[in-house]
Parts: sequence; structure tokens; C-alpha cells
Amino acid sequence: MREAWTDIIVTSFREVVHRLGLVAPRVLAMLALVILGWIVASIARRFVVRVLRAADLDGRCTRWGVTASLARGGIRQSSSMLLGRLIFWAIFLVALLMGIEALEMPATTGLVAVAVGFFPHVVVASLVLLAGWLLANFMAQAVLIGAVNAQLPMAPLIAGSIRWLVLIFAAAAALTQLGIAREMVLLTFGIAFGGTVLALALAFGLGGKDLAREFLENRLRKQDEDTLTHV
Amino acid sequence: MAEAAAWKELLHPQDRRSTEAVGPVRVLAGVHALNQARSLTRVMEAVASGMAKLETHVPAMVLVVDAGSRDGTLEAARSVAQTFPATQPVRCVRVAGPASRNRAVQAILGVANHVRASACLLVDAGLVGLSPEGIQQLVGPLFTGEARYVMPAYTHTPSEGTLTTNLLAPMARALFGWRIQQLLGGCVGLSRSFIERLLDAEVWESDATEHGAEISLVVESLALGGGIVEAHLGRKRMDPGLVPPDLSTTLAGTVGPLFHMMDRHYDTWASIRRSKPTPRVGDSPSILAETGEAQVERMVHAFKLGLKDLLPVWEQVMPEDTLGLLYPLGPLPMEEFRFPPGPWARVVCDFALAFHQRRLPRDQLLRALTPLYLGRVAAFLLEAQGRPPTELAILLERIGQAFEDEKGYLSARWR
Repeated sequence: MREAWTDIIVTSFREVVHRLGLVAPRVLAMLALVILGWIVASIARRFVVRVLRAADLDGRCTRWGVTASLARGGIRQSSSMLLGRLIFWAIFLVALLMGIEALEMPATTGLVAVAVGFFPHVVVASLVLLAGWLLANFMAQAVLIGAVNAQLPMAPLIAGSIRWLVLIFAAAAALTQLGIAREMVLLTFGIAFGGTVLALALAFGLGGKDLAREFLENRLRKQDEDTLTHV
Repeated sequence: MAEAAAWKELLHPQDRRSTEAVGPVRVLAGVHALNQARSLTRVMEAVASGMAKLETHVPAMVLVVDAGSRDGTLEAARSVAQTFPATQPVRCVRVAGPASRNRAVQAILGVANHVRASACLLVDAGLVGLSPEGIQQLVGPLFTGEARYVMPAYTHTPSEGTLTTNLLAPMARALFGWRIQQLLGGCVGLSRSFIERLLDAEVWESDATEHGAEISLVVESLALGGGIVEAHLGRKRMDPGLVPPDLSTTLAGTVGPLFHMMDRHYDTWASIRRSKPTPRVGDSPSILAETGEAQVERMVHAFKLGLKDLLPVWEQVMPEDTLGLLYPLGPLPMEEFRFPPGPWARVVCDFALAFHQRRLPRDQLLRALTPLYLGRVAAFLLEAQGRPPTELAILLERIGQAFEDEKGYLSARWR
């Protein structure tokens, strides 16, 4: 009885040590890949930031209005830093995937192949989101200025609605590109967009008819009153 | 010459041939029109009459250039031209390509250069108040060699030309050191040497707006230094039937070209410290007291609405110091509303800097100036109300001085 118990303990211990002996190199390989990836990503980030600063990307982005758009979106970092971070995370993510692949676990086998195959969709979706975000800010600002100059009440609300409409449209396009619940996204977007337009039409037609009349009267009266010659 | 080829491309071949057939002339009066069939007849008659009154031995030509109208402007011009005596050459042509007043002006200057005109007049077809005597006054200083650029000065009330009196003229004065009255007078006279310089200069790619060409010409002339003369032409009367674009578009189309030219002439304006009066021919234009009461409620309301809703945009244009000058104006009741020239000049300088540094899309930036401009005009009209003409001149001088005072601020931040 005692011998059998000892055998079981020893066998279990040996089994664990044997298994650990099999897994440990893979774990070490994974750690090495992750650490190496971190180091390479950091170096690449610094290099990219320096090159972009030397090329005056920050100044150019300021002149092109990109910096202002980023600031409006709550991103206060310079464009070169932002791109540097993007490079860092791209390299680190690749290293992480390689590390996971090195573990050779059944659940993660082929993960890198899948991720690499999915990568172009992610890039396109990101570009769609970025373009949508820039367009949303541009349009919202143009509408805000136009609405204030037309002396419309609630100009920020109108501009905000435009911004969110464009952002939602961009998000729907990005999700469609990623192939995530394509039918559901299209359906949801269609219902939400159609519903919003209908709600606005009804709200303005029923609830806001006095406002609309007042606005039109003011516009017409304004033309009569505007006797200034500006130039 | 490259520039000669450039102007020839602006006209259709048959139009080009008809202008070239005229031969050398001493004075060319170019009337540029864009959908101005109604007023064109009157302006052409005034121009032709003025040209006829020049010395008899002066070969002269009237050139009407349609900038691409759709209202039968060219046909109206040709019909009027047939009524003129055969001794007076008149040519009516249309610019090739898209409708553009800028291209029409360029074509007139190109023809003037080609026919070797010593003097060239540019007249807006909407300037119905232009008299034959006005034509003579514009041409006179060019003949005597007194000037290479003659611009009009007008007698006006405070509510006339508020964009000119409160922004364009004082800004031009601060930048280039000339106390001019008009940047957009509707007519100018140019010498041959200046035309040659203009055709060589890269001013035509700048702003192809309605007033872009006129502003570019004035600024080029101011940047050259001397040789500018003002001629008093009485009251400025444009065709009352002309429907002006909305205020934001007007601002973008006038202030934009001025700011654009600041980029081009930085080296010149940065070194100019003080302003001097512009030489003048004829009597001095006067400022007339306002007869009616200023309707400023809507303008003050527009300013306050801008201060409430447009602040996120203005924050990208103006620093906190400038915004701090505007905040106290918001709660002021209508009758006590004030927007002094100093803060206004600072606002305009900040917008010029933001335009130069492209902090916003330029069209949006210029349109965002509208409520501030309306606030300033309201304050100006309230201040001018009930004042005698002598004090109105002081008011205008104060605006010009405020812009000059802010020039150091502008120069220091321009990079």
C-alpha cells in the first residue's frame, strides 16, 4: 500500500517535470520573442519619430489642419509621436503573435496565419475610420460656422448631429470591411439612419413649424434690413 | 513672352484677332463684366464719353471683356458698341474657359500690353456712378507720369463700405504704410510699366474670387512703394440691382486675397514702420453724417451668438489673451455695446496669423470672422451715430492707428 502510494507520487512528479521540460523552452522562446519585439518596437518608434520630425511632419500636419482635428478629438500628441506609437504597437503585436505561436498550443496553432490574413482588412478599416473621423470634424465645423452665421438657434446641436452621423456611417463602413456581423450592421445602420431622418422630419414638420416659419421670416426680413454696403 | 501667350489663351481666336487688329493705342479702357447686362450699357457710355473727352490726338480704345456671363452681357455690349462713332474703336470679347472676373482682368491687361497702351483703365461694369470726368481724373496722373496706379476715393457715409473702413483699408495701411481709402473702388488706372510688372508677377494664381484680382492689383501696387495716387470721384454708386453674395462669402472673397498677399509680400511689409497719406488729385472726399438710425440689433445679436456658439472655433484661431478682450463684450446691453478698434485690430491680426499658419481650413477660418466683423460694425455705427463729419474722420483715423499699433504683435508672431 505504502509502495503503491510512493509510486503514484513519484510517477506524477516525473510526469510534471517531463511535461515542464517540454513546455519550458517554448515559454522561454515566447518570452524572448516578446522581449525582443518590445526592444525592436521601441527602437523603431524612436527612429520613426526622429525621421518624421526631421521631415517636419508636425509642422505640415498643423498647416494641413490634421493637428487641430486630432486635438478636437482629444488627441493632444504630435503627429510624429502618434505615428511612432502606431509603429511600436504594430511591431510589438507581431512579436506577441509570434510568441503565442511559439507555444505550439493546439488552441493557438495557425493564429499568426489568421492574423496576417486579417491584417489588410484591419488596415483598410482603420483608414476608413480615420478618414471618417477627419471628415466628421471638417463637416461639423463647417456646419457650425454656417449655422452661426445664419443665426440659427442650436447651431452646436446641428453640428454635433452631423459629426455623429458621419462617425456612425464611418464605423458601419469599417465594421462591414472587417466582416463583423455585416448584415446586422447594414440593417442596424439603415434602421437608425432612416429613423433619425424620419424623426427629424416629423419633429421639424410638427413640433418645429413655428420655428421654421419664424426662421424664414427672419431671413426674409433680414434681407430687407441689411442696407449696409460692406465693400 | 510667356505672359503674352498666357493672355492670348484667355480669349477665343476670333476675339484675339479683333483686338490685335486695332493697333497701338495710348489709352485702353477695359470694362470687365460678369452677368451685368443691365448696368453695362450705362457704364460703357460713361467710359466712351470720358475717353472722347481726352485730348483729340490720343488714340484710345474701349475693350469690354465678358468674364463668362449667362445673362446676355456680351450681346448687350455689342449692341451698345454699334451706337458709338466709328472713330472710337470698341471691342467686345468673352474670356475662354470657366467664368472668372480674374481672367477677364488678366485679359484686359494682356491686351493693354499688346497694344502698347501708356495707360489702362479697369472698370467694373456695375459701377454706374462713374462719370466721364471720373475717367479723366483716373487717366490724368498716368499721362503726367505722376502715378503708376490711380485708385478712386469716394465721399461716403459711415454705413457705406464698412468692410473697407473697418478692415481692408486700415489693414493695408498698417502693412504697407499708405493711408488709402479704397481697396475695392470698382475702377483703377494703371501705367504701362506697372502692367508689364503685373503680367510678370505671380499674382494670378492666388485667389480667383470676385474681388481677388482687384485686391491683388492694389496690394502689388502698395508693395512697390510710391507712384500711387487717389482721385476723388464723388459718391460710389454700384448697380442697385446687383444681388451681392452673402456676407460670409464677401468676407472670404475680400479678406482672403488680402491675407494671401501678406504671405507674398512679407519681406516688404515687415520692414515698414509708419504710414503716410496717399497723394491725391482733385478735392478731398468727405464723410457724410448718417441720415437714418443705425439698425444694429441684428449685428449685435450675431456677435453674441458667435461668442456663445463659435468659441470652439475661435479658440483655435485666437489666443486666450485676445479672447479675454472679447468675453466682457458679451453681456453688454445693445445700447451700451462697444467693440473698440484696439481689440478688433488684434482679432484681425490673429486671424491673419491663423490664415498664414493654416490653423483651420482657410475658407472656414475666414467665414468664422463674420460674427466678429458684425460686432465691430455695430459698435462703429453706434459710435458714429449723431456725430458731425469732422468727428467721423477722427473715428476712421483711430481705426487706422489701432491697426498700426498692432503691427508689432503681428510681425513678432509671423513665422
